[in-house]
Amino acid sequence: MGKSSATKDAQALFQSLRSAYAATPTNLKIIDLYVMFAVFTAVIQVVYMAIVGSFPFNSFLSGVLSGVGTAVLAVCLRIQVNKENKEFKDLPPERAFADFVLCNLVLHLVIMNFLG
Amino acid sequence: MARLSLIVLITIIPLISTLCSSFSPENPTDRRILVLLDDLALQSSHSLYFSSLQSRGYALDFKLADDSKIGLQRYGQYLYDGLILFCPSIDRFGGSIDSAAIVDFVDSGHDLIIAVDNSASERIREIATECGVDFDDDQAAMVIDHTSYAVSDTEGDHTLIASDDFVQSEVLLGSTKIEAPVLFQGMGHSLNPANSLVLKALSASSSAYSANPKTKLSNPPSLTGSAISLVSVVQARNNARVLIAGSLSMFSNRFFRSGVQKAGSSIKHAKSGNEQFLTELSKWVFHERGHLKAVNVRHHKVGETDEPAMYRINDDLEYAVEIYEWSGKSWEPYVANDVQVQFYMMSPYVLKTLSTDQKVQQIPVRPFRHNEYERFLTAAFPYYGASFSMVTSIFLWWIHSMILHCSM
Repeated sequence: MGKSSATKDAQALFQSLRSAYAATPTNLKIIDLYVMFAVFTAVIQVVYMAIVGSFPFNSFLSGVLSGVGTAVLAVCLRIQVNKENKEFKDLPPERAFADFVLCNLVLHLVIMNFLG
Repeated sequence: MARLSLIVLITIIPLISTLCSSFSPENPTDRRILVLLDDLALQSSHSLYFSSLQSRGYALDFKLADDSKIGLQRYGQYLYDGLILFCPSIDRFGGSIDSAAIVDFVDSGHDLIIAVDNSASERIREIATECGVDFDDDQAAMVIDHTSYAVSDTEGDHTLIASDDFVQSEVLLGSTKIEAPVLFQGMGHSLNPANSLVLKALSASSSAYSANPKTKLSNPPSLTGSAISLVSVVQARNNARVLIAGSLSMFSNRFFRSGVQKAGSSIKHAKSGNEQFLTELSKWVFHERGHLKAVNVRHHKVGETDEPAMYRINDDLEYAVEIYEWSGKSWEPYVANDVQVQFYMMSPYVLKTLSTDQKVQQIPVRPFRHNEYERFLTAAFPYYGASFSMVTSIFLWWIHSMILHCSM
């Protein structure tokens, strides 16, 4: 009795989450997908490092930080272009995207230097 | 005027000649030695020891330890190369000497012999402590040994010890083996375990202990067994050498001439080992023996001949040094297979024994430059791939958004 109600609650929760997320604008969904891609890349590298060892440690750090850094910057972009977020309502999305590209440029300049 | 200059010349000539024959890095044997005594009678009662030093060319200057005119240095120059303290009961040195001045004397590379008797004053204890030697706290304590005492006519209290537990070192004790035991009567001391420069030249047997022989032993003695050192030597890092003996009487003519029979042994030696032991040790202390110098230190990378200004980590290098030993008269090549070299950075990085055939020198060692690391490692390809895929994705996204923006 208790177990089935808990399952039902969880199902209801996921349902409501899915329906709420369906209302999200497409550009935000693209960013979400991109964040997942970046995080996934970073996680794969950590798993790879756990298997083969940490020898080119600088390369490992660069690779992982490239993924994590990009994900963080993409999340920042998402915060700024979100229409619901009133904090950045004066900021045009073009400006936010330019910031994102510039920050990525700086980040990957360092990453490429450190990659070895 | 001519007469005045003649007088000046006459006073200068002996000065120059003493300067020439004195201690120097090229001729490291001591020459001028100050002997501080409690009582000038020691000069005759210990005359064998002193005359052996004088016959080897040392100029001994005998002074009472509380003489108000004594001083170790004048105008910043030390007047002596070595100091012998045969004044165990001195409470206050005369003149400009105090225990700090004596420690400074050793710190500036000069040599010191200290002997105490069955008493040691606070001043002498201070100096000994600076050298890493702690005498028994009990002023009346003596080393007692009921198994390896020296047999005498009267049974006595077994404070006259016959010890043959010498340090195994030809540098310290010469190449001739000391056959007869050494007679010792006095205080024992222990070595400070934190001091790695001090070592026992003569230790007590495992049955010895340090206590007041006149009173009943109520508490366990603080110093027991072979932890008791009877005679210790120190070689400081600046080549100063110190000899600390717990017995002044072991230097005396009486002990030098005395026969010795160790308890439990049937061999009766006609003459104790004191003279040989102490004479050989004095040769070491005053740098007649065992004084090394390192010259011509060379090091370079393998395959090169010039000394670089800097090494990199993982460089292979060759290190060579010429070591000479002072024989008392000339420098002889020192041949040994236990010379070691250490490379330091905070703590020893590398410790290697040099093959046959020290100056401190600082050569910076640098890590790899960033372009000296290996590149394009196979193991790192996933990392490269991940980074480039990130860059590519951002680039594509950017292009895509540009196109989108322009078309709108």
